[in-house]
Amino acid sequence: MDIISYLLDALTPFNLVLALVGVVLGTVIGALPGLSATMAVAVLVPFTFTMDPAAGLIALGAIYTGAIYGGAYAAILVNTPGTPSSIATTFDGFPMARRGDGGLAISLATIASVAGGIVGAVALLVLAPPLAKVALAFGPTEYFWLAMFGLTLIAALSVGNTVKGLIGACIGLFLSMIGVAVVGGDVRYTMDMQRFLAGIDLTSAIIGLYCVPVILDLVANADPHLKPSETGGLRFAEALRYSLPRKFNLIRSSVIGTVIGILPGAGGSIAGLVAYSEARRSSDDPESFGRGNPDGVIATESANNATVGGGFIPTLVLGIPGTPPDAIILGALLVQGIKIGPTLFTTDADIVYTFIWGLLIATILMLPVGLLIGRYAYSSITKVPKAVLAPTVALLTIIGAFAIHSNVDDAQLMVGLGILAWILNRYGFQPSPIVLGLVLGSIAEQGFVQTYLIGSASGRLTEMFFMRPISIGIICAALLTLLFPIWSNWKSKRRTQLAQAGEQFADDGTEIAPEPNRRDVPGMIFAGLFVVLGIAMYVGASALSPLGAVFPIAIAAALILFSILLIALNLRRPAGGVGETFDMHSGAKRRIALGVVMLAWVLLMPELGFLATSITAFVAIMVIADYDRPGAKTWAIWIVSGALICIGFWWLMANVLLLRMPVGALF
Amino acid sequence: MKTALATIFAGLLASTPLAAQSVEDFPAQAMTYIIPFNAGGESDISARFQQSEWENVTGHQVVIQYQPGAGGAQAWSQLNSLPGDGYTIMGINLPHTILQPMAGSVGYATDDLTPVHYFHYTPDAIFVRADSQFTTLQQLIDHAKANPGLVTFAGSGSNSSNQLANVRFNAQADVVTTYVPFSGTGPSITAVLGGSTMAGFNYVTSAVSQGDALRMLAVSAEERLPAFPDVPTFKELGYDIVGGAYRGVAVPASTSEDVRQRISDIISKINAQPAFVEKMESAGFALTDIGYDEMDEFVAERIKEYTDGARALGIIQ
Repeated sequence: MDIISYLLDALTPFNLVLALVGVVLGTVIGALPGLSATMAVAVLVPFTFTMDPAAGLIALGAIYTGAIYGGAYAAILVNTPGTPSSIATTFDGFPMARRGDGGLAISLATIASVAGGIVGAVALLVLAPPLAKVALAFGPTEYFWLAMFGLTLIAALSVGNTVKGLIGACIGLFLSMIGVAVVGGDVRYTMDMQRFLAGIDLTSAIIGLYCVPVILDLVANADPHLKPSETGGLRFAEALRYSLPRKFNLIRSSVIGTVIGILPGAGGSIAGLVAYSEARRSSDDPESFGRGNPDGVIATESANNATVGGGFIPTLVLGIPGTPPDAIILGALLVQGIKIGPTLFTTDADIVYTFIWGLLIATILMLPVGLLIGRYAYSSITKVPKAVLAPTVALLTIIGAFAIHSNVDDAQLMVGLGILAWILNRYGFQPSPIVLGLVLGSIAEQGFVQTYLIGSASGRLTEMFFMRPISIGIICAALLTLLFPIWSNWKSKRRTQLAQAGEQFADDGTEIAPEPNRRDVPGMIFAGLFVVLGIAMYVGASALSPLGAVFPIAIAAALILFSILLIALNLRRPAGGVGETFDMHSGAKRRIALGVVMLAWVLLMPELGFLATSITAFVAIMVIADYDRPGAKTWAIWIVSGALICIGFWWLMANVLLLRMPVGALF
Repeated sequence: MKTALATIFAGLLASTPLAAQSVEDFPAQAMTYIIPFNAGGESDISARFQQSEWENVTGHQVVIQYQPGAGGAQAWSQLNSLPGDGYTIMGINLPHTILQPMAGSVGYATDDLTPVHYFHYTPDAIFVRADSQFTTLQQLIDHAKANPGLVTFAGSGSNSSNQLANVRFNAQADVVTTYVPFSGTGPSITAVLGGSTMAGFNYVTSAVSQGDALRMLAVSAEERLPAFPDVPTFKELGYDIVGGAYRGVAVPASTSEDVRQRISDIISKINAQPAFVEKMESAGFALTDIGYDEMDEFVAERIKEYTDGARALGIIQ
């Protein structure tokens, strides 16, 4: 076969070096939240103009796949997705790291990413033209139902707390509507503030919602950030032994990732969420998901790396980029004078196949590279003293949020949302449903309105929504996911009942805390606030065009409904439950101090300059996070290394990524 | 020691404020070119074509950055807060920068922006799938006349050039059709290719990447395009629809007149590079050469034209 002969073209030393350097660079960039594959690829495109097209493509593809993989590090070690693709990695990866299995989680993520990447790249190699039809078979209706399917994961993520999960999703959907609407063109819920015009940026919201609460908890007590592992290292052999019998999970997740990667505009985050949801549904032990089940990490990481190969399928076959990095690579190809489209695989076969082989090689190189970087990242996170770790992570969140648009507004929003998320989480409103709503909101809305327009034009509205074959498949999968937790819950209750009938009072000393059936007053207060928000949303929608108003009105109604339901459920419960006395112990003081420092940091940055505020805040957070009270010499070392970290990142952003840094009055 | 002093002195010389240097030396370092959209769209691809000629023409590189958001408004509203030394320029689009401020408060007014050169436009065109029942524009119009509202057009975004073209088409051909906005050219072409909508109003550039999978029924250019000699213009079929999305380069308002003219000249020079012309035309872009000296007149004409369109879209009364 011809295809094999191109493998030799890909194996030239130059191409191998490019693949290796690309993977290393990509992994590091992906691991830093906010620094994205898109940014790295965009900066490097001009260098590929002078290269041979295939070599340039290999470099860009290697960075891309490395970045998607690298996102797992931050997800596992600091509960913050390094890229949106690894949102679902946090669900189980961080709990694993917390209990001392962080090394194992990184190894599993590496194995899964390589496996997923290989499945995606092989699909691209042998099946690209027929698979591209999948992209065309997905119309607006299918996108709408896919988003609905993603939202059903909330039922699984918030078992026992479903109403709060649903409220969280409505909040996320509301956040997704802020800004200029794609359909209808209305300016919605910006409160006339320029910063909200472009909407809530997903990446900065994710960093805020997931990572800021982690830092706030980090400084609140002297416990180590992650429990030290008993055996140490990455436990690669153990990870391999664990994942081999789970090849079915690996392959299913990789196929899901490849197919969702093919859909333009869906992307790695949705692929990870869908694969996670499927892994949970088909597991014998769904309850353990979200509490550190390794299968959750395997599912997400294999799915998101499979989207890389999958995303190239519509890019190369149809000229329709699957993801933003694909779009940049598409532009690079056009500049090279290569015509994208159905004939590409025959006219420029040498370039395309050499590139695909190169991508495959880069994917395999992730294994040694990942294990090396992973070992270093894990040991430094566990060994670095808390007083240095906390400000470094805080610096990374602020850099990440800022870097997306070179805009301090995003960093301010990130800190604000993060503090809010910590408060909400304290009262049972978890961040994940909010993130799900934010990720899926615009896809759901566009799909819904487009289906509505097309359906009404032909007078077949019901048919459009419910009768298309792929849609029916997705609806069935969604119903399964939605009803399965309820069914399994019922089944396990039934089992306990049966057991109790035989052996009365046997479970007297169970460790599982009974559900707090007392009245949840703070929850009710929040629900009251959300009713007000819902009414404000409804009133705000009245000024919009009909196309732009339908979704806000639906979400406002749902938010009001769920909030009233929450209040009503609590009114039926006996009063005087969780006695909330807010005591100002030292942990709370440190938390408040950290929140204030971070807010001041982002608010003063445009006035005083990036370096001045960062170094000051870094030292301040060191003081807040310090429990060891070391000598002056250690402090001196810490402060110098803090300043070096700040300057290093400033240099990276200003001179390598060429971002416009805030200068302000000082520096 | 002497060499060290000389190095320091040379370093000081090199760091003399750029403003002090003469305009003839501009640019003396790499420039930054901000694209207010995501990568992969027409703005990005045409800028990448320019980028590959930039160093030949100016002797320095250009760095392309993306600042997407709010259909470009996010970046345009910040344009004037950027330094006006000429080293930061931004892509600018019509009708976006005229229609957006009309539609609502987007943080800038059309007059706030300083375009120095519009270097091309992408005509709108009606697309159908290769296996569609429509082979001529007349067949589509007949179908739309017989079934008001039934014909669906996919297009990129609301209040966009695509929707404006659709509104004009409805008025000129005296038909009622349904416009379905998508979040960009990619998704809207996908909808046409996949048969979600009957037809699409898209930019001609899409035809190049899709080859035989799509059929163009008419284009909104003055004359037939070199890349598509067989596709008629709306004008020759009797409908007065000419235009599309214009793309150019803008600078912060604080940029000096000399530098504005200089940047306009650079873009003009790139526009004349044979390799650039070849790439642009074969990708379906229609080159224009509207420099800084003709800018006021050009923008005033477009404002007049789009105001009528905005009235038809219901953006203004």
